[in-house]
Amino acid sequence: MTGLSKYFYIASTSAKSNVAYLGEVASRVIFLAVILYIFLRLWQVTYAETGASELGGFTLAQMLWYLAVTESIILSAPRITQMVDRDVRTGELAVHLIKPMSYPLYCLGTSMGERVVRFALNLGVGLVIALIFVGPIPLQPLSIACLLLALPLAFVLDFLANFLIGLGAFWLEDTTGLVLIYSRITMILGGMLIPIELFPEAMQSWLRVLPFASIVYGPAKMLVAPSTSALTELLIIQSLGIVGVGALVAIVYGIASRRVFANGG
Amino acid sequence: MSPAIELANLSKSFVVKSGKGLNRESKEVVAVDAISLEIEEGQSVAFVGPNGAGKSTTIKMLTGILTPSSGEARVLGFVPWKERTRLTRHIGAVFGQRSQLWYHLPPGDTFELLSRIYSLDRDKYRQRRDHLIEIFQMSSYLDTPVRKLSLGQRMRAEVACSLLHFPRVLFLDEPTIGLDVIARQELRELIRNWNRDEGITVFLTSHDAGDIESVAKRVIIINHGRVVLDDRVSSVKRNYLDSKVISVKFREEPSGIDMDGVETLKSSYHSVKLAVDTSLVSIEAVISQVLKAAPVADITIENPSLESIIAHIYNQH
Repeated sequence: MTGLSKYFYIASTSAKSNVAYLGEVASRVIFLAVILYIFLRLWQVTYAETGASELGGFTLAQMLWYLAVTESIILSAPRITQMVDRDVRTGELAVHLIKPMSYPLYCLGTSMGERVVRFALNLGVGLVIALIFVGPIPLQPLSIACLLLALPLAFVLDFLANFLIGLGAFWLEDTTGLVLIYSRITMILGGMLIPIELFPEAMQSWLRVLPFASIVYGPAKMLVAPSTSALTELLIIQSLGIVGVGALVAIVYGIASRRVFANGG
Repeated sequence: MSPAIELANLSKSFVVKSGKGLNRESKEVVAVDAISLEIEEGQSVAFVGPNGAGKSTTIKMLTGILTPSSGEARVLGFVPWKERTRLTRHIGAVFGQRSQLWYHLPPGDTFELLSRIYSLDRDKYRQRRDHLIEIFQMSSYLDTPVRKLSLGQRMRAEVACSLLHFPRVLFLDEPTIGLDVIARQELRELIRNWNRDEGITVFLTSHDAGDIESVAKRVIIINHGRVVLDDRVSSVKRNYLDSKVISVKFREEPSGIDMDGVETLKSSYHSVKLAVDTSLVSIEAVISQVLKAAPVADITIENPSLESIIAHIYNQH
């Protein structure tokens, strides 16, 4: 087995490990149910007050389905920065460095495996909740296909951003602050709570091209309003984001690993 | 035959910052101080010293994780910190307090993953895995998640995992730390037998004097980053490991224990600590004397601490 295939095996082992320990994974699902219920009530009031049947092109049912996807994406995020932080601080890094593999790709593999399991579970529960509260929305095979195609790069991009912050552990006492800032920005500017369409007109155009929206809003919108042209555009933004953040990761990891080799794990 | 491991004046110093804010001071701390030695292929060496002696730093340099400040080293002909990726395929390492096993999965899954990471041939891998499972007696817990294993079982699995890719040199950094007496002895025997049967070079660090006797043929004692002693285990045993420390807690005040080769290190109301020179008197004889002295509540027999052995060595030179 050569090249990248070992990292796919790392991902599948990580997925297996997360399935084996579903208890902790499932605890976040309860949180998801509570959040979805709260937002359902908020949106019900909003739709009733404004008297509109659609807001930003979303019906109430579509809004809740959209929320089920965005919340599933956000709540499935593996704690990558904590993982890197722990590896650096405890010297666990040594265990990975003595193997013929790349540490960043190893982290990518473990995080993707974890995320797939968490996301599948979250989305399953989220969609059931949406179905119970607001009923089905018109779904075509294209919606599902577009959603599935939009997710992998979104997850990779999100990983790279988190890993970049995690590398801060080589210099900083604590990276939790940075993680909080990043995750809150992703939640708000990424469109977790409200779709980009409901932001002020002036903000919408630049929000759409920022990487945050391509992680959260982009994939979720596919389920509600699938379109191949929107998907293509999304994949291009995601790819550009991956190239940009990936280059930063490569540079910072290069500096960080020189530091490790000089100072020890 | 060229040696498996060579070190020439290998040194490593770290800059340690102390103080707070503007008053921070930088101080250079020498962890490894010009160590030179050669280890033949197939030899088993115990690299021992008290905590902070520079053992882990040396292992990190030999596995390529750390670049030395000066000096040279070669492992199987590779300069570790320059050719780390190529070296990884030929060496195995176990870091006692760090696990390579997946916590929620059975050890069998880690084997499988490692076979992928090292790109092992499938048939060769299966044979090797089965062989390791047999030797390390893992079949009873191969399918049990690691989190449910005892520390002894886990360490056996750790060592077996690090041997999967047919390494020629095995680095063990404090493998027996935290293990109970029986698990510790089992692991030592496994490592010793593997070294004997497979001819693998074993480089083991420990701060436990007991590991010296049981695993290695050669012992290198380091302290403050320098080699204090480099000798055959048999002669070290004769010169420095010929004593035991017996601590006894009595239920009543004991009558005095007076024997040749027994020295009372400490004595308080109900307990005594004895140093026994095993070349003059057997442990059994001392114990039976102790049992006669008064009813015994608790008794432990220990090897002398490495610190006292090192003090002993310094005194002799």
